[in-house]
Amino acid sequence: MLRALDGVSFDLSPGAFLTIFGANGAGKTTLLNILSGLTRPTSGTAIVAGHDATRGDPHLMKKIGVISHASCLYADLSPLENLVFYARMYGLEDPEDTAVKAIERVGLKARIHDRVRTFSRGMLQRLSIARATLHDPEVLFLDEPFTGLDPRASSQLKEYLRALHTGHRTILMTTHDISCGLEMSDRVAVQVKGRFAFLEHIDNVEKNGFEKMYLEMMG
Amino acid sequence: MRQYLNQVTAIIWKDFAVELKTRELFSTMFVFAVLVILIFVFTVDLSIVNVNEVGPGILWVAFLFSGTIGLNRSFMLEKENGCLQGLMLTPIDRTALYFGKMLSNLAFLLIMEALLLPLFMVFFNVDLFRNLGSLLLVILIGTVGFCALGTLLSSLAGHLKTRDIMLPILLYPLIVPIAIGAVRMTSKVLMGEPLSEMWNWVGLTLSFDIIYIGVSIMTIDHVLEE
Repeated sequence: MLRALDGVSFDLSPGAFLTIFGANGAGKTTLLNILSGLTRPTSGTAIVAGHDATRGDPHLMKKIGVISHASCLYADLSPLENLVFYARMYGLEDPEDTAVKAIERVGLKARIHDRVRTFSRGMLQRLSIARATLHDPEVLFLDEPFTGLDPRASSQLKEYLRALHTGHRTILMTTHDISCGLEMSDRVAVQVKGRFAFLEHIDNVEKNGFEKMYLEMMG
Repeated sequence: MRQYLNQVTAIIWKDFAVELKTRELFSTMFVFAVLVILIFVFTVDLSIVNVNEVGPGILWVAFLFSGTIGLNRSFMLEKENGCLQGLMLTPIDRTALYFGKMLSNLAFLLIMEALLLPLFMVFFNVDLFRNLGSLLLVILIGTVGFCALGTLLSSLAGHLKTRDIMLPILLYPLIVPIAIGAVRMTSKVLMGEPLSEMWNWVGLTLSFDIIYIGVSIMTIDHVLEE
């Protein structure tokens, strides 16, 4: 049996921003899937925002937001229709008003009634952020959010993520983009074959040294 | 409970909103059902068979085959762009997701059936108005059972690469009791028998409706788990 995760153990205080680096197949997405309650681990525990993520607790879902490879948006609906739908699923007051405000925050008001199918990758990613943060979650999971974005869209996304990292919102991101990850987070980890091979506070990490060490770990 | 109903209605609203924009599901189902009816009209010599006995079987074949297309398409919509994952990340009770999808499938199929009935009446020269109330009730309980089981199995088959072929393979053997009951009742209704004369068939079909809904509620949590 292949172990996707093995002995991963860490804790994050509210407001922390942890970036996990790792090669494809290192188990980063599996880790996020377990923490967000999408996948049940064969053993171990995962407490997120005070809830056991391994038990499929619906209360956990009110406290987390997830941005994954998939946009989780209905291609033939407009941004407004998509977000009104998700607002109703979260049981939010005034779904339409909440959806409009979320769309305005990510700068897509001009396209509010267009079909999502016509959106670029960058616009989809911004709308995904609006979807994932519609209910103002305490914890945000970002699975390689910069994949497939051009430099301009990447830079825009960085700004949105910075704006989201306020107050006590905890963010856990996986990425291959070393400079971006080091720039945005306050803790960094490197995952190799399902294990954390490195976990440090950003103050103890020097960019060039980290890059060299990371490449050596990747072989 | 209010939140539960709000989630169920949100899923139905979303499915109708998508369908109103794409018109993919309904048009495919309806065209397919009409083709099934037409094939039988041209291949069966209606002058030598009792239409009240043969017609119901043909009608339900059209309903069930076109319904299967609808079930497949309905779940594919949730798989596209990872929308099912997005739904699982909301605080939704998975039975609410099941009932939302089941009721929208049921609504699409009932609308399609309502439009197909007049064509069936014309092509097979049968009088559906003679016992219309009973006929509609029979169609309703047969379609509920089909959608109850079909929605569960389409969510199960949706995880497979061969989902297009797996759904009919899983669905048709299990839907046999409901199909037999629905065809027999439709035949009796067309021959003018009142529903009170066929309680055994009504009871059988309703029992399977309840069993399939019950099994779905008990298993949907595991079926939707990755």
